Amino acid sequence: MLETGAVADPRPLAAVLVPVVGAVLIVSSYRRPALREAWSVLAAVTQFGIVASMIPGVLGGTGYRWSMGEFVFGIEFALQADALGLLFAGLASFLWIFTAFYAAGYMRELEEHGQTRFFAAFAGALAAAVGVAMAENLLVTFVFFELLTVVTYPLVAHDETAEARAAARKYFAYLFLGGGVLVLGGTAAVYWATATYGGAPTVTFGATASGLEAFFAADPWLARLVFGALALGFGAKAAIMPLHSWLPDAMVAPTPVSGLLHAVAVVKTGAFGVSRVLLDVYGPALAAAMDVNLALAALAAVSFLAASVIALRKDHLKRRLAYSTASQLSYIIMGVALLTPYGIVGGLLHIPAHAFMKLTLFFAAGAIHVETHTDHISELAGIGKRMPLTMSAFTIAAAGMAGIPLVAGFVSKFYMLVGAVTLEAQLAGLAFAAALLVSGVLNIVYFWPIVYAAFFETAGDADAKPLIESPFGGRERTTASDSPVQPIADGGEDAGYAVDRAPSDAEVPYGGDADHAHHGGPPPGGWERRQPWSESTWLMTMPIAVVALGALALGIVPGSIAALDLAIEVAESRVGEALSGVIG
Amino acid sequence: MIDLLPLQVDVLANRYSYVVFAIVLALGLYMIIASPNLVKQVIGLNLFQTAVFLFFVSSAYVVNGQIPVIPKDATGTFVSPLPQVIVLTAIVVGVAMTAVALALIVRIYDAYGSLREDAIREVRADD
Amino acid sequence: MTDLATLPALLVVLPILAAALPIAATIINRRVGWSVAALALAVEAGLTAWLASGVYADGQRIVHRLGGTELARPDGGYAVGIELVADPLSTLVAGTIATVSLVVLAYARQAGPRGNGFYAGYLLLTGGLMGVVLTGDLFNLFVFLEITGIATYALVATGDRPQAAVAALKYLLIGTVGASMYLLGVGYLYVRTGTLNMVDLARVLAGTATWGEGTWLAEAGALYAEPLVIASVAFITAGLGVKAALFPLHVWQPDAYQEAPDTVTIYISALVSTAAAYALLRIFLIVFTPAFFAETPVAANAFLVFSVTSVVAGSLLAAAQRNVKRLFAYSSVAHFGLILTAVGVAVHPAAGPTATRFAIYGAVIHLVAHAIMKAGLFAAAGSFAAGVGARTVASYAGLARVRPVIAGSIAVLGFGLVGVPPVIGFLGKWYIALGAISAGLWPVIAVVLASTLLSLLYVARILEKLYFDRAETPEVDQKDHPATDPTDSAVAADGGRTALPSLGMVALVAGAALLAVASGFAGAEVTTAIDPLVEAVLAGSPEVGTNA
Repeated sequence: MLETGAVADPRPLAAVLVPVVGAVLIVSSYRRPALREAWSVLAAVTQFGIVASMIPGVLGGTGYRWSMGEFVFGIEFALQADALGLLFAGLASFLWIFTAFYAAGYMRELEEHGQTRFFAAFAGALAAAVGVAMAENLLVTFVFFELLTVVTYPLVAHDETAEARAAARKYFAYLFLGGGVLVLGGTAAVYWATATYGGAPTVTFGATASGLEAFFAADPWLARLVFGALALGFGAKAAIMPLHSWLPDAMVAPTPVSGLLHAVAVVKTGAFGVSRVLLDVYGPALAAAMDVNLALAALAAVSFLAASVIALRKDHLKRRLAYSTASQLSYIIMGVALLTPYGIVGGLLHIPAHAFMKLTLFFAAGAIHVETHTDHISELAGIGKRMPLTMSAFTIAAAGMAGIPLVAGFVSKFYMLVGAVTLEAQLAGLAFAAALLVSGVLNIVYFWPIVYAAFFETAGDADAKPLIESPFGGRERTTASDSPVQPIADGGEDAGYAVDRAPSDAEVPYGGDADHAHHGGPPPGGWERRQPWSESTWLMTMPIAVVALGALALGIVPGSIAALDLAIEVAESRVGEALSGVIG
Repeated sequence: MIDLLPLQVDVLANRYSYVVFAIVLALGLYMIIASPNLVKQVIGLNLFQTAVFLFFVSSAYVVNGQIPVIPKDATGTFVSPLPQVIVLTAIVVGVAMTAVALALIVRIYDAYGSLREDAIREVRADD
Repeated sequence: MTDLATLPALLVVLPILAAALPIAATIINRRVGWSVAALALAVEAGLTAWLASGVYADGQRIVHRLGGTELARPDGGYAVGIELVADPLSTLVAGTIATVSLVVLAYARQAGPRGNGFYAGYLLLTGGLMGVVLTGDLFNLFVFLEITGIATYALVATGDRPQAAVAALKYLLIGTVGASMYLLGVGYLYVRTGTLNMVDLARVLAGTATWGEGTWLAEAGALYAEPLVIASVAFITAGLGVKAALFPLHVWQPDAYQEAPDTVTIYISALVSTAAAYALLRIFLIVFTPAFFAETPVAANAFLVFSVTSVVAGSLLAAAQRNVKRLFAYSSVAHFGLILTAVGVAVHPAAGPTATRFAIYGAVIHLVAHAIMKAGLFAAAGSFAAGVGARTVASYAGLARVRPVIAGSIAVLGFGLVGVPPVIGFLGKWYIALGAISAGLWPVIAVVLASTLLSLLYVARILEKLYFDRAETPEVDQKDHPATDPTDSAVAADGGRTALPSLGMVALVAGAALLAVASGFAGAEVTTAIDPLVEAVLAGSPEVGTNA
């Protein structure tokens, strides 16, 4: 939503078009990989530059807007840069720079096929994500939302195996349900409601609230239903339960995709959409009056608790990170849905905070996969010797996810706790705060074993992991012992890792996973010790280091990075009170 | 006079052509659906169309109407030429349809050696 | 503006006359048909553009009275003769017909049947379609429907296999039954009102006829509740529903589309059902008007039930098909269901002025959008069939590597069917959804929104096969070097035929995809163009646009 003083400026449009041009250049240089990856990096830097150049103006109160004329009856196709949009767009474009390097290293080390398609689709995805960020109204948001799904489909199906194709089909089904059905219906309903009850039909952010207020007065349950459709529709992309199950399956995509898109760009688009609905379409006052925000916050709280619990039992590293992502995104939704000023700041700040941390984690996972072909946590014992830099970065990011101070996650979580506690409904607020704390503990429970195994165990001498290995409900005997493991009475395989005999993932994996249990893991003789600068290609270690440092920076000096200022700006303008920065 | 007769008797006595129209229509439709022989289906189609023509013609009947060639200073009741024109056009259309249908049937017979739908379906299943 | 007034007649007569030329020219050369058709249709396109410039200059309505005014409308009273009407709605569809028929010729250069007889039928079909669209008289509509029908049956039967004749015969039987039902409906109307002209009929039905003082006409009032009128609506709907292939009257369509030569399939899928749907739209909106449905809500509800069932059934049946052309045929059933749902919403008693406005926008935009998208998709299917012999979805595996332009166009058009903006398929769906929401018709809203997922069922299958599946036979290693130019690296796939698609084929497919995206942004222009129709419906006037 733009306050007064919107200047006509083509920069929002430029920010969307630059990656499109980049994609075209990438496709045309398919014969020269170095040039192709250079276009990727160049497009990312340019896009970030354009977005960053708009931040000072927006913080100072000027907005930027560019319209391309009437798109459908009564609605313009317009892009705008305001605080909320720039928060997301800046984050996505900044992280793209480093992901471009990382992806180049990743794809080269693995000698992947279809790299041109990959990089071009990646650029397209960034264009669509920034388009969502810069949209001026619900309909333009919808346009870019759908285009994002379309453009990321080839990335999910990249491997072209049966598993990848199935995952991509599921991806399509869930995201078109969310977008093409729910968001489209919600947008049309908002247009109709503002026309019927508000006098003038509109779907522009900031202009719909008065019409929707009259709509709520006339037909409260229908208004709540429309809110629910919009929230669930955007929430599907944010992997809110019960529409989350596409995300773990989408981990079959290459790790740069899982990292930037399915932890930062695509899923954050969903959370961003929910924030827009709460803050700009309905507005905090109306949403609170409708009592829908607490329902949404409760759904988000249940979602993040459940996702954390499920993550505990996942042995496949990327799937555990996927459930962790689903959980953390619900933090964002919950934070914003609380509609208290600090809650909004916390929720919005968690967008960049989580992005930096999760991206580090995914980069680390990808580096591990590339260097050692290890995908499962049970095979990671002692890997800190082999990949010290990567695992150190992993530790920092994991600490942040749990909310340890000095890393980014602490700042946003703290604001969210304050926001929960200051809720008017005291009991509900305390319940949300308790959920946040419990979830923090759960985060530790599922990240700590990885860190411990990496640094404090050696291969072959790993402790038993009952959370992963045991079936639900327990078993008659445990496998925790220092002596060689006994075979189970029903004639399982002979001695090896316990997880080989009692696989922990609830579902039987598609053909691929069963094999991985055998060819991942340390080589005979254990991991070799490597130095930080020689553990992997610089194309991958540099981004890992930079993004981890970014997570640290956000934790130590949040005020000096624009993110906190933008978040505070958004909260202040929506809620109407001035906030004193609690930290930094 | 007409008001005194019950509706059903009135219809049968004075508007029997519409009853015939309905019966022939149903007959034609039934032939298309139920007959396995392609030529009989085309005959049924023709029956169906003829029923429609019957409807038009009988609706155009004017008691004591003269043919619609009106000399100068004519008086009296004339029949409207429009329904007759409609029926003539429709008959021509029907003839063209029948011609095309029969040409197609000739080709089908050449290819499959039978005029029966079920036999053709069997032969096609073997393709 | 008298010269403009002869244009509608020229547009109809020119292709029909030109249809005689290829046959006559057989004495000179057996292959001259294509050139004659190209010339005739090029002239036709030019005339249509001229007409459109006149009509859209200020929303005019150009009427051609066959036989002149004294014979057609003696004393300015009711119409005795036949009128051809070019108003903003019919000119839009006429323009689509002219463009598509010309462009498909480019496709037919390499692909299509080449005999002179074929092009004679092609031109006859174009003339018939122009007549359906431009006529202002209900019986004339029947005649042109039948002309279109005959030409279509003949063109369908030009397929290679004898199954084509069976499919054509099935189409003939069902189609003629449908047309005769339509004729019966028109007959009922004529018996009750005494006129066949659409404008006059609308006035008589509404009780606002300006002639016949002292006769039964003046005292009758609105005729909407009469049994004859209601019965006629039912017959007309059934008849035009057969032609537009609504479920369950669609059974002729999959066979006909599958067996016809690819050129013919493109043409008829884009235009023939479109003309029938246009006729239904016009009759419901202009002749009967929403006022009729306000009197008889059960008619509107029954019609909505049928169209909504079409959407669902068509999509589900499409998802189950193996042959690509049959899949697209069932997809047409679904999308015409969507268009007619919009018509149903527009006339529904629950629809206020905004709902009617948006539903009409949606119906007309999707009518044209579907024509563009289906033409492109069938053209792509045809070029795959011709080039690599791929006719089933399974045989499309991995074809994106060898035919990237065509595969990309299929992706764009497929997403248009699903309703992804900015492809034009989204625009129609947006307006239809908006119209349904404004009218508050919940089942309709649910189905319109669900049609996204329903279309996705079959589109996603095809795209997945094209891009992310490997062909069974090993091919040239395409790793990292996707061929961006279809004229290089023709790969032998199953079947062995490696004819490269002609420039015309690729141009048609890619052009359709580009047009679908470009026109997705032209929504504002199209809605302005059909505003006169909306005004006329909302005002209850049968004349769309201002009289020239």
